[in-house]
Amino acid sequence: MNTKPNILLVDDDELYLYLMEKTIHQLSKELVVSTFTDGEQAVEYIAECTKQNLDLPEVIFLDINMPFLDGWGFLNEFKKLKPKIINNINIYMVSSSMRNSDIKRASNFEELTGYVVKPVNKVQLAEIFKKIYQQNW
Amino acid sequence: MWKRVLKMFIGLYVPLFALNLFLYYSQKAKQIETIMERQIRANTMKKVSFEEECHSFLRNSHYWATLKYPKNFDPLIEHSSFLRSYLELIEDITFYDQFRFIDLEGKEFFRAERVENDSIKISVLQNKNHQPYVKAGLQLKRNQIYLSQISLNKENGEIEKPHKPVIRTVAPIFDNEQNQLGLVVINFKMKKILDQIKSIVEDKNVYLLDEDFRVISSNTIKEDLPYESGNKNSTIDGILNTKAITHNRDSAFVENGHIWSQQSINLNGATFTFGSISNLPTEIVTPSSWIMALEIPSKLVEAELQPVFESLLTFNIISIIGLFVFSHTYQKKKLEKEHFYKELESKNILLTRSKEQLEENNIEVKKINNSLEIRNKQLSDFNYLISHNLRSPVTSMSVVVEMIRKEKNPEILNQLLPKLDQVANSITNLTKDINEYVSILDNKEIKLSNINLTDLIEEVKHEFTETLLDDSDFEVLLKLDDWNQITFSKFYLQSILQNFVSNAIKYKREEVDSYILFESAIEDNHKVLYVRDNGIGLNLNRHGDNVFKLYKRFHRNISGKGMGLFLIKSQLEALNATISIDSEEGVGTTFKIKF
Repeated sequence: MNTKPNILLVDDDELYLYLMEKTIHQLSKELVVSTFTDGEQAVEYIAECTKQNLDLPEVIFLDINMPFLDGWGFLNEFKKLKPKIINNINIYMVSSSMRNSDIKRASNFEELTGYVVKPVNKVQLAEIFKKIYQQNW
Repeated sequence: MWKRVLKMFIGLYVPLFALNLFLYYSQKAKQIETIMERQIRANTMKKVSFEEECHSFLRNSHYWATLKYPKNFDPLIEHSSFLRSYLELIEDITFYDQFRFIDLEGKEFFRAERVENDSIKISVLQNKNHQPYVKAGLQLKRNQIYLSQISLNKENGEIEKPHKPVIRTVAPIFDNEQNQLGLVVINFKMKKILDQIKSIVEDKNVYLLDEDFRVISSNTIKEDLPYESGNKNSTIDGILNTKAITHNRDSAFVENGHIWSQQSINLNGATFTFGSISNLPTEIVTPSSWIMALEIPSKLVEAELQPVFESLLTFNIISIIGLFVFSHTYQKKKLEKEHFYKELESKNILLTRSKEQLEENNIEVKKINNSLEIRNKQLSDFNYLISHNLRSPVTSMSVVVEMIRKEKNPEILNQLLPKLDQVANSITNLTKDINEYVSILDNKEIKLSNINLTDLIEEVKHEFTETLLDDSDFEVLLKLDDWNQITFSKFYLQSILQNFVSNAIKYKREEVDSYILFESAIEDNHKVLYVRDNGIGLNLNRHGDNVFKLYKRFHRNISGKGMGLFLIKSQLEALNATISIDSEEGVGTTFKIKF
């Protein structure tokens, strides 16, 4: 495993970010986690990576409700960037919302791999990682 | 109703009545004409029969005048035998009253008088030389016969009683040597003839008048020759304006409703041939001229016209009844029709009104529906707020607590514990914000008042020091021409205005002179307030959905909680107002509030 950040957390809740990072590290110390507190920063980062041909994260945990650019906004921007992206990026919508409208809206984005309801516990994370890192896990 | 019936009835009846009148009068004129014709015929008959009587007298006289008398004719002694056979003849001719011969001195030399109906007696001779008929007779030429006036017989200067109307004929007589012997004078009895004249035809009055319009005989007066016997009703003056009756012409005329017909009988100068045609014609000399007049009294004329009048009256009565019934029925129908139309109209109005009411209700329902939708949206938003914003710190907390429970490393525990503080803080802040929102949502009785927008903006403006400085680069502009008074919650509106001004100051562009402009307008009968600024603006493509949502912020370098526009929208919607946004990055933002 290289040291490039392979997990991206995008959420305005800093406590959540702290806890997620902690949980992920409990699962594997090898995973590199980066965080952004809003969608705008995350989009800028991905755009920068694409531009400079840097490696992109394999998993993004995306919150819906964020200032400046929310989860939906991020997805829209991501769509525009996608043709330039070679790697497969797994994006998980993570929200405390259990609203049907949100879930339905999420299903319309083919960029999304899944929809996870907060709180995300260790078991759920393990399953997600198992799917993604099958060979390496 | 009755007024209209009457009006229509009169309208129909008056022309009919006029036609009736015309018919009546033309009928009357025709009738009168017919009556006149009949009357003229009757009158002519009377005249002719009277004239025939006169002719018969004249023929008798002519007979006596053409006899060849002996020379020195002495009928009493010498020639009594000559006369006897003639007298026997006279005896049977009952209208001979007296038969006399008068000599050229005016003295009678023969006088025979009728004593009984069928006997004649020779009586005492009288001197008649003072009598006008004798005087006139002595002037006569051969072949002339004198016809006297009709008068009452007088004997020795006294009117004979009982009255005896007579007419005299006088003719000269000659001996066989053509020497005039004297005159033959015959008195003819007129009573029978006058009675015949008086005999009434169809209830008409008959008058035989003399040349002075004195009544000789009339069925209206018992006596004949009333003026001679001293009767006052002797002239026709009392009955008729005598100017209407003239000797000159035969005529028929109407006076005071009486129909008159007059025919004059004037024999003076007329010539006749008596006996064989070879005889010389005889000329009549007479001072008399008569008028035969027939009168139909107005009563009679009216009676004649009665059937016409009656039939017209009947027709009129039937017409009146018929027209009245027709008018009444027609007007009744018309009134019913009008009533029906009126009812229809009022029903129509009612329908229109109920339609309007329905439309109004519809609008009201739409309004309510709208506000319910808004309410629903608000509740949904609220739900989201709770489920998302509140849930995330709570779940985070449970995760922290779980970690703390499992964690034995005191160093990590020391890291974790302050996190709980953080959660508690965020929950407290959140509950505060939610509380504010709930208070808006839940405020059922918002105190409304009439607000002067100019004053309120001025008030709000003063809360911001940026606007107060003289050399300030931020201006609050007003353009409240269309309206500046509104009924709203003063508390909300103040808060809304504060948020707008605060945002406009916060997001102003540094390179320009910034302003916020409040502009009022009326659109679709609604008061509209435009809030424009020339600030940094917003990319609506990116953020359009989220502009009015809680905790949404769009400018990283400018501090803010993300509550201002959320509260503005909530407060407006609580009072059924709506807000929309139009914005361009680097140009400015316009909010449109529709009250």
